[in-house]
Amino acid sequence: MSASEFELLRTVTLGQYLPTGSAIHRADPRIKLLAGLLLVVAVTAMSSIAGLCLSFALVLVGFLAARIPLGYALSGVKPMLPFLALLGILQAIAIPQNDANTTVFWRWAFITLTARDAVAVALLFLKFSVLVWGLSLLSFTTTTTELTHGTEHLLRPLQRVGLPAHEFALTLNVALRFVPLLAQETERLMKAQASRGADFGAGRGWNFVRRFRRLIPLLVPLILSTLQRAEDLILAMEARCYTGGKGRTYLVHFRARASDYAMLALVVVVLAAALAASATPADALAWRAISTLWR
Amino acid sequence: MTEPLIRVQNISYTYPAGTGKPALRDVSLTVNPGDYIAIVGANGSGKSTLARHLNALLVPNEGEVWVNGWNTRDRAHIRDIRRTVGMVFQVPDNQIVATIVEDDVAFGPENLGVPDEELPTRVAEALAAVGLEGQGQRASHLLSAGQKQRLAIAAALAMKPLCLVLDEATAMLDPAGKAALLDILRRLHDAGTTIIAVTHSMSEAAEADRIVVLSDGQIVAEGSPARVFGDAALLEQCGLEAPPVARLAHLLAHHWPDFPTDILDPEALADAVCRFLAAPGAVPTTPADDVSDGAGWPSSGIAAQDPWVALDNVHYTYLQGTPLENRALRGVHMEVRAGETVAIIGPTGSGKSTLLQHLNGLLRPHSGRVRVLGYDLADPRCDVRALRKRVGLVFQQPEAQLFERYAGDDVAFGPLMFGASIDEARERVRAAMNSVGLPFEAYKDRLTLALSGGERRRLALAGVLALDPQILALDEPTAGLDPKGRDDLIALLRQWRRADRAIVFSSHNMDDVALLADRVYIVADGQIAHSGPTRQVFANPGWLAEFGLGLPPATALAHTLALRGCPVPTNVLSLEELAQAIVRLADERIRV
Repeated sequence: MSASEFELLRTVTLGQYLPTGSAIHRADPRIKLLAGLLLVVAVTAMSSIAGLCLSFALVLVGFLAARIPLGYALSGVKPMLPFLALLGILQAIAIPQNDANTTVFWRWAFITLTARDAVAVALLFLKFSVLVWGLSLLSFTTTTTELTHGTEHLLRPLQRVGLPAHEFALTLNVALRFVPLLAQETERLMKAQASRGADFGAGRGWNFVRRFRRLIPLLVPLILSTLQRAEDLILAMEARCYTGGKGRTYLVHFRARASDYAMLALVVVVLAAALAASATPADALAWRAISTLWR
Repeated sequence: MTEPLIRVQNISYTYPAGTGKPALRDVSLTVNPGDYIAIVGANGSGKSTLARHLNALLVPNEGEVWVNGWNTRDRAHIRDIRRTVGMVFQVPDNQIVATIVEDDVAFGPENLGVPDEELPTRVAEALAAVGLEGQGQRASHLLSAGQKQRLAIAAALAMKPLCLVLDEATAMLDPAGKAALLDILRRLHDAGTTIIAVTHSMSEAAEADRIVVLSDGQIVAEGSPARVFGDAALLEQCGLEAPPVARLAHLLAHHWPDFPTDILDPEALADAVCRFLAAPGAVPTTPADDVSDGAGWPSSGIAAQDPWVALDNVHYTYLQGTPLENRALRGVHMEVRAGETVAIIGPTGSGKSTLLQHLNGLLRPHSGRVRVLGYDLADPRCDVRALRKRVGLVFQQPEAQLFERYAGDDVAFGPLMFGASIDEARERVRAAMNSVGLPFEAYKDRLTLALSGGERRRLALAGVLALDPQILALDEPTAGLDPKGRDDLIALLRQWRRADRAIVFSSHNMDDVALLADRVYIVADGQIAHSGPTRQVFANPGWLAEFGLGLPPATALAHTLALRGCPVPTNVLSLEELAQAIVRLADERIRV
């Protein structure tokens, strides 16, 4: 049993903002969000190794410009590796890619590994890396407050067509405020019940009913107190004249500078180029190279 | 005559989901601009319900509430009403909306549609009014409890209200936080803001110009503090107690029937005492004999034994190795012996709770040694579960940790977890419930959630006492209780003490410490700043003032009297002791 047996906050690392004061940190959060959104959409649609490599290079340049140590960024990806490996295996086995003109590496029962499978797995890895690194770049360089304000301001034009932009941002903000509180509360409850002899460490056996019953001393008070908090917060908001997004004004305003637009333009150009790369024979070249290497 | 700001006319209110019992019955109240009103009453008397009617958070079933000429039933003026009457609630964390201080202050004005360019000025002014200037960019969850409540006031002020309603806003603050908040209220009042403070702290109510006493949903008294606090019988009947100055005056009136009982100011009390002891000039200047601890808890004899608790240079750091690292304990030394009651006092965040959690092995020291009843926590093989059975730990607001439907079942949880048989558990539950004043037969099948706040707190305490611990550790045992609930709990703990038991507790209430503790440790910044027998610690006001802690009311009054030339001992701990000392002084004077 370690000294931090009950330290739940250690595992709650929301918004791992890493202030280095770089130009990327100072950029307009709306532009950063937009760039992030474009990256996600473009990369999801991309299916060429060359295009993904280009996008990956873009993200790396972003990390360098933000002065975030690559080792630190890599450590964030590590916990996801087993999950990614499993996905890779499933991709290779479950989605057969064996048309006539591909090289077969290995065949066992109904499982066939071909060069196309190898390319598909490589694509999956690349896609995933670009997405995770791209989004963590956003969270390393933008505070949660900037993120919620940025989201609200970006979505505000859509309010006219009935999208609840303000409500969405407020929900996000309140959730971010209450997660650490709930973690603290759970910690206190665990300690209090442990003081009365409860034993949470032992997850013996597969008796789910018994394991669930052990959680009741935590769940009941936690749910009750969360309801109480919600009720209090609603009262506090009502007392401050909250009636939804209509007619609100805003303390925070963002002004995008020329450099911000330049950054966005760069992202657009690179992503367009990366998407265009799918239409070139680079992809075909890549998997031909792999099959040649195999022989 | 100016138009009243708020007019409450014969309102009644019953909560729709409640027991059907009305929370307010035929209540009328007039608030004039510039008033400072305290609404007092025991828990469940309806004072929060009344407060929520003042800005249309609740609308009465019967009767009317008018705010600045607008009826609270009129939904068209709801914004005007809420902008006029700002609200601050009890729990600091539950009323902050935004993650950043500035955003939270701006929330109200933003909702009102205050022009964008005016918002920064409003935010800055509101923050300055509560002493949080320049802190706009701080993360709201990293503020102290006192700062959070000041933020909540700023958030209300940013809407430029004419009146501020505070619903037990100081209940969860340490003495320094409370004092800072009261100071802000006084300044706002001087600047013209109407203040309505809901509280069960009578010393806070004494700040007001007018006190409204609620009992069982009805206003039972209304008047100046001197008048209301002069009526001791009424206060007691409502589960309240007068502030210390008034209580001392009442005690002295037992000896001198014509001693004035409508005094609230310590200086005025000192004057009256001096007058009764004859002219101040005639007072002999020989210093008073100190009160001695003749009837105190046995400490000699036991002192020779090994201490039950021994902390030696204990260090503990939260979130060690992360950017949020927080060094909570930095070399703490502490001892508790059999039969002792030890208090731990200090400002919020000084490490009191961390210290208590070392006593039953919830936390283990990162360095240094903790030995409790022969268990060595530094030893990785130490059986902490066995230790937890012998050291009962009661957390802050333990009533929030109850989880069973029926009261008896909740108390049985501990004994059953530690392997007691059903019959044995039943006997332990019976003994524990009886000892906290919730008779087993009458209460075992009561619904936990239907008990009152004070009953729930005592039930939670029974849940720990059912383990029959040797050491009882309590974190802020009386916080948030009304005067009656607090008295009951203190009496219960005094009764539980025995030569073969020990109590360790933390508290922000110096009166609790004076009434219970044999010895006191002052914790500040993760270290023991001072320690000693209770009388000795309270004989050093400087030790306490250093950390924003006050003296117990009786000790503070004794100091005031001594400064006025009454040679009373300054190391008294209770009002009864002080009254006796004054009377003894008078008797000696007669003999001379």
